[in-house]
Amino acid sequence: MDLPCGTRNFSYKTDMAIFRTKTHWAMLIGFLILLFSLPFNINSYWLGILNLIGITVIAAAGLNILMGYCGQLSVGHAGFIAVGAYTTAILANKLGVPFPFDMIASGIMAGLVGVLFGLPSLRVKGFYLAISTIAAQFIIIWVINHWSGLTGGFNGIVIPPINLFNFDFTTQGSQFFIIMLVAVLAIFFMKNIARTRIGRAFVAIRDNDLAAEVMGINVFRYKLLAFFIGCFLAGVAGSLMAHWIGYLTAENFTLSDSILYVGIVIIGGLGTGVGPILGTLFIRLLQQGVQYVSPLMGSAFPQLPSGFAAGLGPMVFGLAIVLFLVLEPRGLAHRWQLFKSSYRYWPFSY
Amino acid sequence: MADLLQYIITGITVGLVYSLIALGFTLIWKSSSVANLALGQMVLICSWFTYSMLAQVGMPLWLGFICVVLFALALGWLMERIILRPLIGQPILSLVTVTLGVGFFLEGVVSFVWPQSVAAMPKIFPETPIHIGSAVISQEYVWAAGISLLLFALLTIFFKYHKMGVAMRATADDQQAVQACGIPVTRIFSLSWMLAIVLAAVGGVLMSSIGGITLGLVETGIKAFSVVILGGLDSFLGAMIAGPIIGLAENLGGGYLTALTWPGVKEVIPFIIIIIVMFIKPYGLFGQERIERI
Repeated sequence: MDLPCGTRNFSYKTDMAIFRTKTHWAMLIGFLILLFSLPFNINSYWLGILNLIGITVIAAAGLNILMGYCGQLSVGHAGFIAVGAYTTAILANKLGVPFPFDMIASGIMAGLVGVLFGLPSLRVKGFYLAISTIAAQFIIIWVINHWSGLTGGFNGIVIPPINLFNFDFTTQGSQFFIIMLVAVLAIFFMKNIARTRIGRAFVAIRDNDLAAEVMGINVFRYKLLAFFIGCFLAGVAGSLMAHWIGYLTAENFTLSDSILYVGIVIIGGLGTGVGPILGTLFIRLLQQGVQYVSPLMGSAFPQLPSGFAAGLGPMVFGLAIVLFLVLEPRGLAHRWQLFKSSYRYWPFSY
Repeated sequence: MADLLQYIITGITVGLVYSLIALGFTLIWKSSSVANLALGQMVLICSWFTYSMLAQVGMPLWLGFICVVLFALALGWLMERIILRPLIGQPILSLVTVTLGVGFFLEGVVSFVWPQSVAAMPKIFPETPIHIGSAVISQEYVWAAGISLLLFALLTIFFKYHKMGVAMRATADDQQAVQACGIPVTRIFSLSWMLAIVLAAVGGVLMSSIGGITLGLVETGIKAFSVVILGGLDSFLGAMIAGPIIGLAENLGGGYLTALTWPGVKEVIPFIIIIIVMFIKPYGLFGQERIERI
């Protein structure tokens, strides 16, 4: 870890701190004030996008723990998000469970389902795990679509808005506070878990699971724990998404979304603190850009085929994932690190 | 009883097509240990290309097929040359996810170029159905099974006797030894990708002449993964045997389990099989168990 010029650590506590200097703290507080004052300054269209970004950050943080720190590939993340979303839908709609509790229950439910589909990870890895999580995705969506007595099936299910202290969180601005609060907590949680015994065990398993086992790490337990934590955050994100959209069908959780989450974590930078945030910002803003550009291009060049608008998005994301893997496998987080160090060491960059 | 016979024949014939697509996967996995998760999208795009050549451009059958094979060869070559060659030596996580990205990209290309999203494949095979006992089978199934078996035979001969085939098997066994013998390993990689995509294209054409061209073809490609998992990743024989098993399970399950569970159970049976195999015998029926050393 590089420190600003002239800063030294004199105790273990300061060495381990995430925010080391007064400038850090000032920037953190400034950022939080800026973040939570946004609802008063921007319109609800952009707030909606920011809410989506917040929810995606939570899910991506979960996937980052699973994939980035523990090295277990999961291509079924949208499926686990769906588990969380539908748990909330059922709890809130049919049983009337109030807000923070349905979110926690959704997280635990998604975590347990994740553990179930993560069980093969004890014996297999890499491609096998990718396939078993793809299978998980399809099985989960199939169950959701057909267990219509509980989930509403193809007709969908309505979720009441979040209600705290008799206040309905119906507008984008009010939901923004809850979503961003959870997102900040999720990132904080992810960043911290990476520094604990659990996080170091995850990294050891990622680097070489046999070596980790020889060192005395209970690989089975920690792999399942990674699945639980990763899918817990997915469930929390799903729960918030359910409240945010207000109406769910399984269309919201496709295999493409799962691949998109993998892409977010890769583009952001695997196993880094800022990775999920940067990756989410990149992908979601790219989506916005594509949505904005495609009708313009369509009217400017009428000779383009009519599938242009539908095809442009997947093409751009697929290309982004491939290009990042080929050209910058360490992701945006690495670029951010380079930028930070060049800024810190300026003008003596050696 | 008539139902049972019908399910069995349909299951085996469709399963053989799955095997064909799965062989393409195994080919790449064995030679370069890259998992091609874009298989489904490749099946899809090759089917659409066939549709374009036959129905939109209006080529005669033979010319159309030559074009499709050329297209598949080009696609395979480009995949290997542009995307996978720079990634040689990267961790398996990158190799798996890069194919996911390619799949995403190809799906975009498909909806870009062919926005209609559903089309019927022009009739390639004769239409009169065949009666086997009490079952009525449309000829597409029989042709699909026949062509798949023919291709298996050709591939077996190729791998056994042709110089390139032997080189490919050797590469699968030990890349460094092969390189030391003066065989260009990268060319073997290209060749296996090209062959694999041709197999995917043939499989796609056969599947879409049975069920039409839809996004469901992507799922067909994903079902081929269940074939691969059941048969063992690195076993050609496993892929050939596991295909009909998956096809049978799918059709029999679809026929008899739908009443017990929910409709559409046919579509998830391969995935349930994947999970079960993962629990019981993760390296498949014929796969080599990997022993890892630190």
